[in-house]
Amino acid sequence: MKKFNITVNGKTYEVDVEEIGGVSTPSPRPVQRASAPAATPAPKAAPAPKAAPAAAPAGATGGETITAPMPGTVLDIKVAVGDAVNSGDVLAILEAMKMENEIMAPSAGKVVSINVNKGASVNSGDVLIVIG
Amino acid sequence: MSEKLELLKKNKEKLIAGGGAKSIQKQHDKGKLTARERIHLLFDEGSFVEMDAFVKHRCTNFGMEKTDAPTEGVITGYGKVDGRLVYAYSQDFTIIGGSLGEMHAAKICKAMDGALKVGAPIVGINDSGGARIQEGIDALKGYGDIFFRNTLASGVIPQITAIMGPCAGGAVYSPAITDFVFMVNKTSQMFITGPQVIKTVTGEDVTAEALGGAMTHNSVSGVSQFISETDEDCITEIRRLLSFLPSNNMESAPVFQTDTDPNQMDERLNSIIPDSPNKPYDMFNIIKSLVDQEDYMEYLPHYAKNIITCLARINGRSTGIIANQPSVQAGCLDINASDKAARFIRMCDAFNIPILTIEDTPGFLPGTGQEYGGIIRHGAKMLYAYSEATVPLVTLITRKAYGGAYIAMGSRHLGADLVLAWPTAEIAVMGPQGAANIVFRGEIKEAKDPVATRARVIQEYTDEFATPYKAAERGFVDDVIEPSASRPRLADAFDMLASKRETRPAKKHGNIPL
Repeated sequence: MKKFNITVNGKTYEVDVEEIGGVSTPSPRPVQRASAPAATPAPKAAPAPKAAPAAAPAGATGGETITAPMPGTVLDIKVAVGDAVNSGDVLAILEAMKMENEIMAPSAGKVVSINVNKGASVNSGDVLIVIG
Repeated sequence: MSEKLELLKKNKEKLIAGGGAKSIQKQHDKGKLTARERIHLLFDEGSFVEMDAFVKHRCTNFGMEKTDAPTEGVITGYGKVDGRLVYAYSQDFTIIGGSLGEMHAAKICKAMDGALKVGAPIVGINDSGGARIQEGIDALKGYGDIFFRNTLASGVIPQITAIMGPCAGGAVYSPAITDFVFMVNKTSQMFITGPQVIKTVTGEDVTAEALGGAMTHNSVSGVSQFISETDEDCITEIRRLLSFLPSNNMESAPVFQTDTDPNQMDERLNSIIPDSPNKPYDMFNIIKSLVDQEDYMEYLPHYAKNIITCLARINGRSTGIIANQPSVQAGCLDINASDKAARFIRMCDAFNIPILTIEDTPGFLPGTGQEYGGIIRHGAKMLYAYSEATVPLVTLITRKAYGGAYIAMGSRHLGADLVLAWPTAEIAVMGPQGAANIVFRGEIKEAKDPVATRARVIQEYTDEFATPYKAAERGFVDDVIEPSASRPRLADAFDMLASKRETRPAKKHGNIPL
């Protein structure tokens, strides 16, 4: 269940939206909450945002994705696409918390793609490199 | 008389046979040992004494009156591990799926009561399909009785659980209350609700292994602290863990003879810290140099690797080590690291294991993820755990010790008995860059050449404040030592502190920010 504040003609309505999926779908619940301003017609026009189906993680094609463990700046990328790497090889240097953190390969493989550039700021969880 | 003896022998043979050859074969085919094989591996040869083998269930619902369950699906008793008394129970999956009913639980409770009475550790080996549905709420009562005893025994005797098969639903909470949870890779799973229920309720598709497998709980959830590849390895590790622990909270852990010379200097430590403060190094190299036989047993090795928690011996004495790991996430403190360290500190304190803290951390990890996740609450646990601890606390600062993290990592102010620092230590209220931005903001702004001025003030600050000497001037650091002398100094410190006695105000219990 997701909550949205939807403004229609300057009036804000709090709307609960349930994503419907799977086989055993519970019957949809009323959209309007009891707490909606009284004496206001039910906001029929409230456009229920149709959530796009969750996309599969981009770039991940069966390979192992190496993500940023923490927010920081990519200081250096030590490999190129197509390079063979061994488990424990340093793939990139991520500067974070004033430390040059070595991002290492968790397993052996070939570098399938490099998803960031040198100097890029990344957030925790951003895909840096894919090896397969 | 001889007839009666014959009958006794026959009865016992039947009880020992477990669920029969067919189900035992099935168990072996899955790569698992039987409940009895596990017990025999755990205890010194011939030392196990079984209790309550004759116990029977008394359920008459759903045809259960016709079901024969030798040993009631769980082996309980006591024996010796390396010559020391240990209680254990081992659920037998070959007997009605190791399911837990009223009497099965009663057997476990009796073993727990016994262990608590005599102050001996208890090892629980779980391999059970869950509650015995036919017994209804009597089975639920059984679980509740076990949880209650787990809680009473917590902090009194070491409680170790090994998950060696399924452990689902209510069953998971007994392991969760215990001090240590071992899991065997690929053959053990823990979850509150299984994949089928998840699928019908939320539509989420997940395999049992991804949901609650050993690696999931060792690396993602932190529910289990140890992972092994086989049942045999797991039991060997349990025996090893017991060697670091006392039998109960009134005793000290056994002291071992060591070949390592306590006065051994290690020149390698003098060059282990990189010249640039931005370069990481592997904290394990320092730990190996400090402990006997370079041997340590990691607690939660796959979870929050930015902090290391392990048990080792220094000069033969069991020691709990908490150390920042600069080569993982800069060794920063985050929610998971704080949680991991806090639980470990409290375990050590409960069981009279002295604590060594090795500090090199840039501080608490900033960001919305951390703040929303409650880093304040979780970080507080660590401060609380250190402050509450009355065991010998020795802290070694190898490099960065800034701001709140300096206080949190076993500082003098939270009760450390002895704080040593290497000359490479940087103990200050904040790092040079941060200080330049705040303290020297005006000076930099008004300067003709702000860049050069900034560089100059940073250098000045580094020389003046990013050292161990300001803290040593105040006595917050007892001594600044040559790194190579760390082992002798620590061995001596723990020796000196061995008779430490400290009390805290009497109270029902504290209110740790959980």
